[in-house]
Amino acid sequence: MEQNNEMSAQQSLQIITETFNKSRKGILRNSAKYFLLWGALLTAISLVIYLLWNLTGKPQWNFLWFAMPAIGYPLAALMGKYDVAVPQNEVSKMLTGVWRVFGVFAITLSVVAICLVPMNVSLIIVIILGLAECMSGVLLKNWPIIICGFLLGVCGAVVAMLVNSEAQLLIFTLGGVLLLVTGAIMKLQNK
Amino acid sequence: MFPKLDPLLHSELRLAVMSLLAGVDEADFTYLKKQTGATSGNLSVQIDKLTAAGYITVEKGFKGKMPRTTCQITPAGQEAFRGYVNALQEYLSSGK
Repeated sequence: MEQNNEMSAQQSLQIITETFNKSRKGILRNSAKYFLLWGALLTAISLVIYLLWNLTGKPQWNFLWFAMPAIGYPLAALMGKYDVAVPQNEVSKMLTGVWRVFGVFAITLSVVAICLVPMNVSLIIVIILGLAECMSGVLLKNWPIIICGFLLGVCGAVVAMLVNSEAQLLIFTLGGVLLLVTGAIMKLQNK
Repeated sequence: MFPKLDPLLHSELRLAVMSLLAGVDEADFTYLKKQTGATSGNLSVQIDKLTAAGYITVEKGFKGKMPRTTCQITPAGQEAFRGYVNALQEYLSSGK
């Protein structure tokens, strides 16, 4: 882009519109990789726990859930370190906020359930996972993500009440796949 | 050239920089360079002009061991940018 002081009004508006759109798309494309990271982790860890639990019959494999933040947060930080310094806009900041709040709730409730008050953590986490996914869809103005988040939260909660603990893990596998799909949609929409 | 338009913003590269900064909290020099496709020298000159006008602030620091220059739009810059866009819209709607 070179200096040009003889622009028409249309050219000026075109520069503003194009720059805004290009920047917005780049920021959302960058956010998509975090959905892909957490989606892949959730899918992999839920499947590993499901398989190990079924093979050994030991529910203690559920402690592997704590590997998710232990692996995910350093990996996310590493990915951010090598970013081409992509800034944050209002949407990407709100998306980060929604998923941080989800992470805090999920980890705190899991610790409380293990140490203080036993509860159906799967039921609660699947509801807040669906809620966070649904809110992401609202922020991204994307109906498929809104509907998938709603279905995950509501149907996941119903299924979590009906099936045994091992089978509940597969709801989280589905949640992981949903995050992967969200990331892929964000990448495709912002090419 | 339209009389009502801010001459500082009525330049392709400076307008692109202001458009980029208007939608984000702050942006790196490397990001601005990549998005505008401008050369480092040209971009530096235009950033200096915007800084001198009080439209943006520039902060030099480090990200790890790498030097990092961060630009941020000021409230005066936001106001000037809004005024520029409004003037453009007025001009276009008047059918001149």
